[in-house]
Amino acid sequence: MSTLRLASRLPFETRRKLFLLTLGAPALVYVLAIGVGPVAQGVWYSLFDYSLIHPARRHFVGLGNYAALFADASFRNALLNTIVFSGAAVALEFATGLGLALLLWRDSRFNQICLALLLVPVTVTPIAVGLIFKGLLEPDFGMIGYWLAHWGWSDPRGLLGATHTSLATLVLIDIWEWTPLMALILLAGLKALPVDVLEAATADGSTLLQRFWMVILPLLLPAIFLALVLRTMDAFRVFDSIYVTTGGGPAGATDTLMMLAVKRGLQFFDIGAASAIGNTMILCLALIASLFVLLIRRADRLANGR
Amino acid sequence: MTKRKPAVGLLALTALLVPSGVFAQAKPYAGITLALASQNDQFAPVLAKLAPQFEAATGAIVKVDIMDYGTLLTKTTADFVGHTKGYDLVTMDIVWSGAFAENGYTVDLTNWIKRDAAEIDTGDIYPVLMQSLGGFAGKQMAFPFAGYANVLAYRKDLYAAASLTPPKTMEELVTDAVKLTDPAKHTFGFVANGKTGPAGAQDWMQYNSQMGGSIVDAAGKPVINSAANVESLNVYKELFAKAAPPGAADYDWDGREQSFRNGTVATMETWSVGAPGYYDPKQSKVVDTVAIEAAPSAKGLPPRYGVGGWGMAINADSDPKKQEAAWAFIKWLTSPEIHKQFNLEGAGSFLRRSEMTDKDLLAKFPFLPVIATTFENGNGDYRPRIPQYPEIQDLLGTAVNAVLVGSADPKAALDEVQAKAEKLF
Amino acid sequence: MLATIVTLFLLPVAWLIATAYKPAAAMFTSPPTFLFVPTLDNFRKIGTLYDLPSLVRSSLTISIGSALLSLLIGAPCGYALARSRSRWALAIAYLFLGIRTVPAVATLLPFYLLMRDVGLLGTTAAVILIDTVLNCAFVTWMMFSYVRALPPELNEAALTDGCTLWGAFWRVDLPCVRSGLVAGALFSILFSWNDFLYASFLTRLDSKPLAVALVTAYGTYDISWGTLGALAHVALIPIVLMVVALNRFFIGGLVRGVH
Repeated sequence: MSTLRLASRLPFETRRKLFLLTLGAPALVYVLAIGVGPVAQGVWYSLFDYSLIHPARRHFVGLGNYAALFADASFRNALLNTIVFSGAAVALEFATGLGLALLLWRDSRFNQICLALLLVPVTVTPIAVGLIFKGLLEPDFGMIGYWLAHWGWSDPRGLLGATHTSLATLVLIDIWEWTPLMALILLAGLKALPVDVLEAATADGSTLLQRFWMVILPLLLPAIFLALVLRTMDAFRVFDSIYVTTGGGPAGATDTLMMLAVKRGLQFFDIGAASAIGNTMILCLALIASLFVLLIRRADRLANGR
Repeated sequence: MTKRKPAVGLLALTALLVPSGVFAQAKPYAGITLALASQNDQFAPVLAKLAPQFEAATGAIVKVDIMDYGTLLTKTTADFVGHTKGYDLVTMDIVWSGAFAENGYTVDLTNWIKRDAAEIDTGDIYPVLMQSLGGFAGKQMAFPFAGYANVLAYRKDLYAAASLTPPKTMEELVTDAVKLTDPAKHTFGFVANGKTGPAGAQDWMQYNSQMGGSIVDAAGKPVINSAANVESLNVYKELFAKAAPPGAADYDWDGREQSFRNGTVATMETWSVGAPGYYDPKQSKVVDTVAIEAAPSAKGLPPRYGVGGWGMAINADSDPKKQEAAWAFIKWLTSPEIHKQFNLEGAGSFLRRSEMTDKDLLAKFPFLPVIATTFENGNGDYRPRIPQYPEIQDLLGTAVNAVLVGSADPKAALDEVQAKAEKLF
Repeated sequence: MLATIVTLFLLPVAWLIATAYKPAAAMFTSPPTFLFVPTLDNFRKIGTLYDLPSLVRSSLTISIGSALLSLLIGAPCGYALARSRSRWALAIAYLFLGIRTVPAVATLLPFYLLMRDVGLLGTTAAVILIDTVLNCAFVTWMMFSYVRALPPELNEAALTDGCTLWGAFWRVDLPCVRSGLVAGALFSILFSWNDFLYASFLTRLDSKPLAVALVTAYGTYDISWGTLGALAHVALIPIVLMVVALNRFFIGGLVRGVH
């Protein structure tokens, strides 16, 4: 009681700050302890030769794990694959998602139904998505794969089995799975556009394309930013769909950083190397995110004069 | 212990007469729950089905957690290295013996086996199974319960139509497979796993051994890029290119088995555990045309029959009382009577000599003599059961797959594996 | 055109659902067949292979548990960040968004050992706790956006009327962002229901959720697409129906997330 009375004697602004701090602290502490703490620990571990299977061998190696990774062709390959995968997937999802969002913009009963149904791929368990496409694309019995191979539209080994098409096929699967989410975020942005601005633009007689380019796109920038950042973060960590389809093959064509990290960390329990891969991923994403922030700021300044 | 059965019968009788307090005494492991981590092979559902019988006999509840290969390895290793006592019993793949022994993950059963030798009737168990499904460097890290024989499954009709007899040597297998391939009819001579990872690595090691290659030398050091291995990988690559279904480079066990069961493929080497499936009309189209033979070896070589399968291991971290109950479970499961029932239910996991001549089992599984031959003469070491095996298998899986899809040259690929493998020793 | 696109997005799922009714022998024919005599065998089989009630119970416990916990700590935090005038508020909000970049491998092993020490390994509670890191971060970010869009005058008026700070938060502001809470819960449930990696590593037989069982259905010698399809009925249909039915909130959450 006495603390409460003491608190009530504090000036309002201080009490307000304390109140907000109390509300905010649990989540912040929780995320710092369980989400960020291990990352800090991982930075430390990545400086050691540290395997849970051979605990006796543990010793400090400095940046040795990182040097070993970058000297390893399979890591460079996985890094490249991850970048290509995320870049292609996010770019294509953005293009198709934007198109889809524009199609869905007009409010009608039919569009609302389509919108609801488009949520299905987003909702389906990613593990199941991988298995579905593995089954469909299998070149010897798959409902789609058989005919593609039969008509010579795919390599006889199948889309997922041939080195030159497997990564692209995984991008396609990702597009199937996540374009709807991209479209919905962008649609959300479109629906939030101020009506008066749009009406004014229509009234001054500019063409549809002009309106899109000059008015809509600039106003949509925050939504675009969120959509790109969210999707890039998730695409960079792609795992489930690759794990159950190609397992990183054929010939490492679909090996990604996450596949590699899971193999080193959860199969061989090589904490040092797995942490080093994890940290590389976080670093890459931080770079990409800052790049997005810079680009969006620049675009914002150019377009909206802010 | 030796007199368990009559004792249980007697006590069950008393249980009818006296209140339940005394009944609990009759069941030496009442109140104990054992967690069993099991590979998702044919035996897994049967294990789960038999567990209540063990509970009825001893009072111990056995909970069977069925997982795929990767998850099983990950979760049990995590359990061992974290000393978390999550599982008391673990099905152990033959190739994990070395790693388990080096790190002492599981209980060394040597003394218990010696103590209970009469009860177990060790003489009835194939020595190769006892030695390879858990034995390593003088220790016994697991007790065999599911012996698999590598056998040759082939299609009588296709061989007859081409006026061929089943291959007696690897050379014949290769030439026959090419002759039997007709992509226009969607018929292929041969199939094996080509996929990155354990699937591709293990199948190649099998063929490699039959063709005369070896992964490690007599001293146990890796000789992965030996001339014999490079040559065998060359032949293997040709075989895939000329005689296997196009998708095979991406197959793991399920794709391989399905392609045989649905009648696309004429010849396949496989673990005997899959064989009962070919005779099941619900999932197989080759019920009347399939035959099982011992696997061939290269001309001039003594037969190299491959042996694989699973042992049952006891977590070294488990409480002593649980370990004791777990050992009772192992003895119970592998006892002649229960193990026969285990196989009659379709576990496909053989262990004892007496099973090979059992009338009921033979009636259901006509290929038992082939398995017997393989177990008599077989060897479980063509996949080196050394502590470094998991890493070597991973490297080989990637390399073999790369060769099969044409991204790497056999010599270069094996050179690279050798270089990486040497660092593990 | 829209109808075609939507169909394209639905067909693969329809295929998986259809395989559940395919007899095992019709599954692997070349060329593949579209026609088959439907069977319920696969449903009988999953009944014997899996303890379905336990799988469903675990999936529900994990997803609902994590959603509740995330709302409990995430919503107040998002509110506090939105209302705070500190320079740090925005940075912290971005930190919550950025937590998504951390790959699961980095957190899993330390978390595994922590759960061992507190005796929660192999329980649904362990999965709830680790899922909540991502979920509460997302809820915080979402509430941050919702509350920022809320006029502060409401709150100020309530305070002038003699409301306590807590009262203004609980009785005035929170009801205004009710749909945000629903959206946050929906996203949390979706993530936890579908998560595979965390759950597969941390659960055991009694606590195994459906997503993990889906991969087990993919056995070594007998992957049967039929079993998988049958299991998908239980694993996918409830969550899909829920999200489709509540799509208004889901999309609403995205609208706010943008600003």
